[in-house]
Amino acid sequence: MRTFVFAATLVLVTLVALPVQAAADTVSVGKLLSEPTSFDGKQITISGELIGDYGFRSDGTVWAQLNDDAYALSPLREGGALHGSNVGLGIRADEGFFVAIDPPGRYNQIGPVVSVTGTWKYHDPDRGGESYLEVVSLEVVKQGRPVRESTRPLVVVTGVLLTLMASGLLFLSVSRRSSE
Amino acid sequence: MLLRPTKDDLKLIGYSAARMLVISAIAGLIPLIWALAAREWAPAADFLVMVGLYGLLGGLGLILRPRNHRLDWSHGMVVVALIWLVVPLVGAVPLALSGHFGSWLDAFFDAMSGITTTGLSLAQDLDHMASSMIIWRHLLHFLGGQGIIIAALSLFSGAGTATLYRGEGRDDQVFPSVRSTARFIWLVSIVNGIAGIAALALVARLDLGFGTLRSLFHGVTIFMAAFDTGGFSPQSTSLGYYHSAPFEMVVAVLMIAGAMSFGVHYALWRRRSVLGNLETKTILLTFAGTLLVTQIGLATAGVYRSIAGLGRQSFFQVLSAHTGTGFSTVTSVELATWGGLAFGGVAIAMALGGMASSTAGGVKSLRVGLALRSISEQIKRVLLPEGAIISSRFWQNGPRTLSDELKQTVMAISLLYVALYVLGAGIGLATGIPLQQALFESVSAAANVGLSVGVTTPSMPAALKLTYIVQMWAGRLEFISIFALVGFAWSLVRGK
Repeated sequence: MRTFVFAATLVLVTLVALPVQAAADTVSVGKLLSEPTSFDGKQITISGELIGDYGFRSDGTVWAQLNDDAYALSPLREGGALHGSNVGLGIRADEGFFVAIDPPGRYNQIGPVVSVTGTWKYHDPDRGGESYLEVVSLEVVKQGRPVRESTRPLVVVTGVLLTLMASGLLFLSVSRRSSE
Repeated sequence: MLLRPTKDDLKLIGYSAARMLVISAIAGLIPLIWALAAREWAPAADFLVMVGLYGLLGGLGLILRPRNHRLDWSHGMVVVALIWLVVPLVGAVPLALSGHFGSWLDAFFDAMSGITTTGLSLAQDLDHMASSMIIWRHLLHFLGGQGIIIAALSLFSGAGTATLYRGEGRDDQVFPSVRSTARFIWLVSIVNGIAGIAALALVARLDLGFGTLRSLFHGVTIFMAAFDTGGFSPQSTSLGYYHSAPFEMVVAVLMIAGAMSFGVHYALWRRRSVLGNLETKTILLTFAGTLLVTQIGLATAGVYRSIAGLGRQSFFQVLSAHTGTGFSTVTSVELATWGGLAFGGVAIAMALGGMASSTAGGVKSLRVGLALRSISEQIKRVLLPEGAIISSRFWQNGPRTLSDELKQTVMAISLLYVALYVLGAGIGLATGIPLQQALFESVSAAANVGLSVGVTTPSMPAALKLTYIVQMWAGRLEFISIFALVGFAWSLVRGK
């Protein structure tokens, strides 16, 4: 009997979950932002790096920014090339998704790369015309990690030399002024 | 006959400019200390180079010791124009070294945009930029807005300092002494700073749910960009990052405070009404007009599905444009699709700008009001009998007369702005950008706004980057100082 209940539950969950996954188109943020109305109200899947801050709101949701540009996979700090401005959008998800997630991407941190599925809400009338993705599922594709800084001795030496020369000149100017 | 400047003229200009560079070196210590505290070692080294360069140039200037310390008008104007070139030139060094810019020109573009409180940016991967580098970009807004010259005037006394004050396009002297006025400006900035940062950080902590330190970081950076009507943002999605009406409301208050002249701040501190001022009436009228036009445009195009959405988004974008801030809650891709009336409403709001002697750019409300007044006077002259007496009086912190000299100045500066807008749009067109977008971006650069419809990108032609740099520089200084610098350079070459 217990096996039957488990199997029935599994079938039911699969039936409920499948349409969500099946109906969700995978789109890039760039395409979504250039054709926002064509995806309005639809289930879509987007993958990218979570960056900036996790905003834990009092209503039990978390707001974050998801960037699907090249910098998550090839960070500048690790010698990655420049690929233009960031491309991202705001996502809103249940705070349960953010309980054990890595910190968001910043200067010294590559944020977790996630795949999120949710409803694209373009100019949401209930939120004063904001546009965002209302997330129903979130899967971590790649863990976040700290990024190491590269050392640049030449810049340090140049900085020290320039500062020493500047200090000397300023000292000379002050001493000449006081002697006058 | 054009007189070649003497060695003493050059020494005096170098010496006066050196003081500002020393102040810039001291300001540069802020991001340096921040970088060390945040353990951002590579940016710390970049800032050390910058501080050293500012200090070196400042030190070289200070040992010049001119015989005459009195700045005349031309000296003052040349110093201001020069400083507004040299400070961003050196200030671009850490930006260029950061690796977030495609070229040195791009870094200089950002530094010029920062100091002129424009807000257009060519930064790449801003979302991974060091927090100290972000602080420096926003501090450039503060230096330009509040600013280097004001700091110098507060600290150093000397004959002819009023020329420096006027050279920055400020003509609103609150107190008889320029030094007292400069100190009052600092007082206003500090009081607004404490209140603004506290309010933003509180909203970020309590409403947005950010961590305490990050709330403070967002509070500091957004305050500097809002109160100085700059428009840089710590995240790539500008104000759209926050998804919060309360946060936008605090920012709106700060943008309005930033676009007000310090004379109006003084009047409000003394609990005097400013509603009777020609400038206040004009800015309220033009803001209401451009907002209405934008809303009609958005409503007829069916862009928003609710009145709340239409009201919130149009109000924020038009306010940001009119105050010359350049924050946006919609993407540049979306802004570019605001065709017709909505597009026109935002563009006109940018072109008109904020109040005179504020950090806002554009033609400025006082000039718009005076120009309208002058036109209405001309119409009355035509319509009324020949002997009719037409009043040329207006109210601006007291009764004033609209003299012929004032009319000419107003018309000349307004025409120069229009010419600058058209010139930038023309060069944009020549590089293959559609007219509507070229005009929008040109107005945004020249009026020091910073809203973009996607033209300002790292891949745009170098000629256009240079054009926008010159537009930002000329628009911020309101032309006269730049003409003085060009004339000075010409007299160095061709003078006798």
